Amino acid sequence: MVVDEGGGGGGVVEELVEEVGLVLRKRGRRAVHGAVSGTTAIPWRSSRSSSRRSSRRRLLQRLKDWEEAWSPPPPWDREEAQSALRGTQPGSFLVLRDHVTCRPRLLCVATDGHVTEREILFSDRVCQLSGSRLSFPDVFQLLLFCSFSRDVLPEVLRLPPWIFSESPESSELGPKMWLSASSENPPEEKSEALGSVLCCLQMTSSNGALCVVNPLYLHEHGDEWLMQRPLAQRPLAQMPPAQRSLVQRPLAQSSRTSDLRRDQRRLSGTRPWSGAGLIPKRAVSLDQEPAPDLGDSSGVVRARSADSSKTPVSSGPASSTSGVVLRRPSRDSPIATSSPITTSSPSAPSPLAPVSHMSPSPHRVSWIQDGVWLPPPSPPSLLHLPSMELDSLSVSSVEEDPDPLSGLASSSHRLADKVRHRFSAVGQALGGLVCPKRRFRYRVQEMSDRRGSVFADGVRTFVDGFLQKSPERDGLTEFLQEVRASLTALRETLLEHVEIQGLLDAMTDMTDAEIDILVERSIHKVALKPVASHLYGCIQTSRSSDGILDRLQRNQRPLQAGGVGQLGGSEGVGVPDQVTLERIRERWDTMHEAYSPNKKVEVLLKVCKNIYHCMSAGTESTGAVLGADDFLPCLSWVLLQSDVVALQVDTEYMMELLDPTQLQGEGGYYLTSLYAALFFISSFRTRRAVRQLSVEAQQSLSQWHRRRTLHCDHPPRRKLPHTIHSRGGEGGEEVPQRGRGRGGEEVPQPGRGRGGEGSEEGEGGPRDSELRLKKWKDV
Amino acid sequence: MAASGAGGGKTYSFKVVLLGEGCVGKTSLVLRYCENKFNDKHITTLQASFLTKKLNITGKRVNLAIWDTAGQERFHALGPIYYRDSNGAILVYDITDEDSFQKVKNWVKELRKMLGNEICLCIVGNKIDLDKDRHVSVEEAESYAESVGAKHYHTSAKLNKGIEELFLDLCKRMMETAQAEERLKGNGASQSASNRRGVQIVDDEPQATPAGGCCSSG
Repeated sequence: MVVDEGGGGGGVVEELVEEVGLVLRKRGRRAVHGAVSGTTAIPWRSSRSSSRRSSRRRLLQRLKDWEEAWSPPPPWDREEAQSALRGTQPGSFLVLRDHVTCRPRLLCVATDGHVTEREILFSDRVCQLSGSRLSFPDVFQLLLFCSFSRDVLPEVLRLPPWIFSESPESSELGPKMWLSASSENPPEEKSEALGSVLCCLQMTSSNGALCVVNPLYLHEHGDEWLMQRPLAQRPLAQMPPAQRSLVQRPLAQSSRTSDLRRDQRRLSGTRPWSGAGLIPKRAVSLDQEPAPDLGDSSGVVRARSADSSKTPVSSGPASSTSGVVLRRPSRDSPIATSSPITTSSPSAPSPLAPVSHMSPSPHRVSWIQDGVWLPPPSPPSLLHLPSMELDSLSVSSVEEDPDPLSGLASSSHRLADKVRHRFSAVGQALGGLVCPKRRFRYRVQEMSDRRGSVFADGVRTFVDGFLQKSPERDGLTEFLQEVRASLTALRETLLEHVEIQGLLDAMTDMTDAEIDILVERSIHKVALKPVASHLYGCIQTSRSSDGILDRLQRNQRPLQAGGVGQLGGSEGVGVPDQVTLERIRERWDTMHEAYSPNKKVEVLLKVCKNIYHCMSAGTESTGAVLGADDFLPCLSWVLLQSDVVALQVDTEYMMELLDPTQLQGEGGYYLTSLYAALFFISSFRTRRAVRQLSVEAQQSLSQWHRRRTLHCDHPPRRKLPHTIHSRGGEGGEEVPQRGRGRGGEEVPQPGRGRGGEGSEEGEGGPRDSELRLKKWKDV
Repeated sequence: MAASGAGGGKTYSFKVVLLGEGCVGKTSLVLRYCENKFNDKHITTLQASFLTKKLNITGKRVNLAIWDTAGQERFHALGPIYYRDSNGAILVYDITDEDSFQKVKNWVKELRKMLGNEICLCIVGNKIDLDKDRHVSVEEAESYAESVGAKHYHTSAKLNKGIEELFLDLCKRMMETAQAEERLKGNGASQSASNRRGVQIVDDEPQATPAGGCCSSG
């Protein structure tokens, strides 16, 4: 059944199915261990008629119209409600309001012989019943839902039959009227609604486990972003674990009605769920090509993860305005078997799922298959994003959200990754296995705590050492390089452990790049996290004392006043409005909070994506191509509206601490752009000649690059760095340089030997970095 | 990031930087190449600051990362931030705009100074569909390119002319350069495998001699 007020719900199912279908195909093709070998959809019965849909909306409207009847104003209290409910048909209900705020606060439901009460909780624009994990945008939808499914209630709520009729025969609103009629049977309409949609996805893993994934469950976890979309966003990492373990698709806020129509079309239920149309789209994204715009991303898909412990999650989910898709209890409706796609497992839910012993999830709702409980999610700290390949740090892929204002969204390939990851996790966990990535992170965490282990000692030395250490004057870069080098050394130490080697070797379905990131982020967690704020402090102190922060702030105001045109932005290219700006600032905050440079870059890419959306909003009519000519001014403009000091700190943190291999892809490009824009701002007044790159920038750049070459990170599973000798340029262009040791000081050479023609270029020392630039190429 | 050995075949990863004045069509050029799109009067707007392309050239895999830069004069100083460790540079001018050709010349000088001969330079006269308004003569442009060791190309992003050739040619040249480097470094194969992962560099020339005359021919 669908509690759907405007679309989205149907798409949820379909998209999940699409994802799963693809994942299965992909996994099947790759024939990796733990691959899902067969799939079965329990076909959903859909509401094919839009009239049914609209009738549900009508019902919702009626519920609103009759609010006074079921929710009498404050004079009514519990005693009164209880006495009114006593003796009525089970499921009859009243809602009591708060005396002060007049908000609905208590749901009283008649059950056999007595009255059950549930508090209605409002949190941040959503409401939910106490004890329930299901949230709704308003109390009407909550009640309507509970009239279909009891959720935490002992009974399904009963609506008086007359509410279904077009015209209520009485204009006298009141609880009496509401309850008096509720003993009659609900009309046909409701039954129809009840049977309208049924969905459950099933798949079996190669080890024979049957997984039943209920889209409602998937749907109901992690909806907060839907509700907060105008202003807030929640990065994946900050979400409650249940949410993070879920797969999300962006919700297209625009074109609601078209979504609705599409959903209806899709929900026709007979379409095979590994439908042909799906593969090309997904294949593209999985191959990491620029991701196509997922115009059809109209719903939210949440894959129930088995990354779970038995700890219930405490934070409440939020609701979705897009609707709820759920499956009725099977006893009420025989499973339709019209279109299973693959037939390797029975299409009906089977009790062979070996999970009934698991403790029930706190999120139980009545539609869940008897005896099939998935374990609740794990604490957030244990769950990371699936690691990504290098170029998955990509603006085009980080967020497939057509609307810059809408909430968190995922890249198509990341999404696919996640789905693959999650579903394989589901399959494996149910089969008694644990996701290798998680096991790896656990293991790293565990090893860092293990007394006497070399790695644990290394981590302790790292943390204690750097917490007590601060950079010397003008030695910030060296200091951060030392941190980076130590991180690399820690990684080496970790990788020397046979156990770790074994775990990594077992991850045959991950690329080297993915493994690198997994290892790197595990190290960040145990080592960098405890020292991150100290490092911020060091960066901030150093950059205050050398005046960069001051210059940034000083130049911020005058540049701000000039507008984007002053920054080189062209006519017609949009800049973020206030709402988006606010959102971007929040993202900057998120970026600042993240201790992992990789995570920071991910957030940065989201911001860049937001900026692009705003830029293109202004050029839709002209169809301009937006390249760096437009992006850099716009980025600079955004920076001017942001906390430049924090950004400078974060930028240096990322540049110095990011694994250098991460600088090759899109993440590297946009980090470079961020650096460049900040440099542009900080050097705005000091830059006399436009073409001059300041001495500081030259030095900063050269230091950065020196690290890239001197402190190049060694690959995992490589114990010793290879040392090669760089050669100079060709044809008399040898690079004369002072010798430098590993991490040693280097005295920039004065700007001599300048080419004759470069007369308009900088006055001081840019040559120094040019020399070094040659060297970088050798790597 | 020149080359890496990855299971089976060799994969080259090249960074190519796009330089040139604003409005010369840098972005359109690369967008055309990577996505075969040219936005003339279409409704959509495309972002194209950073694009990638995967190629297979004579059995070798090539990953191309193309970095666009802001062409406005005020951002000129940021150039080195972008073009550092590039394997190739595409310097674009508009054949109807002589100033833009002058800008290209400036970039060539700077790049040669900063990066020496190791960077493969392509000078690209774009918008040949507007040949009737040409202000930069073919001969001048080509002879200039030759004089600085760059290759010259005539392209039209609008008509999709000359773009494939430009990139293919550039890739081949970058591969040659990378292979030459490998040979110079000796044990080519094993070396290239370690390149991707990062290699510690130690200078061969510890003495501090003046950098005089570094590519002043520009």
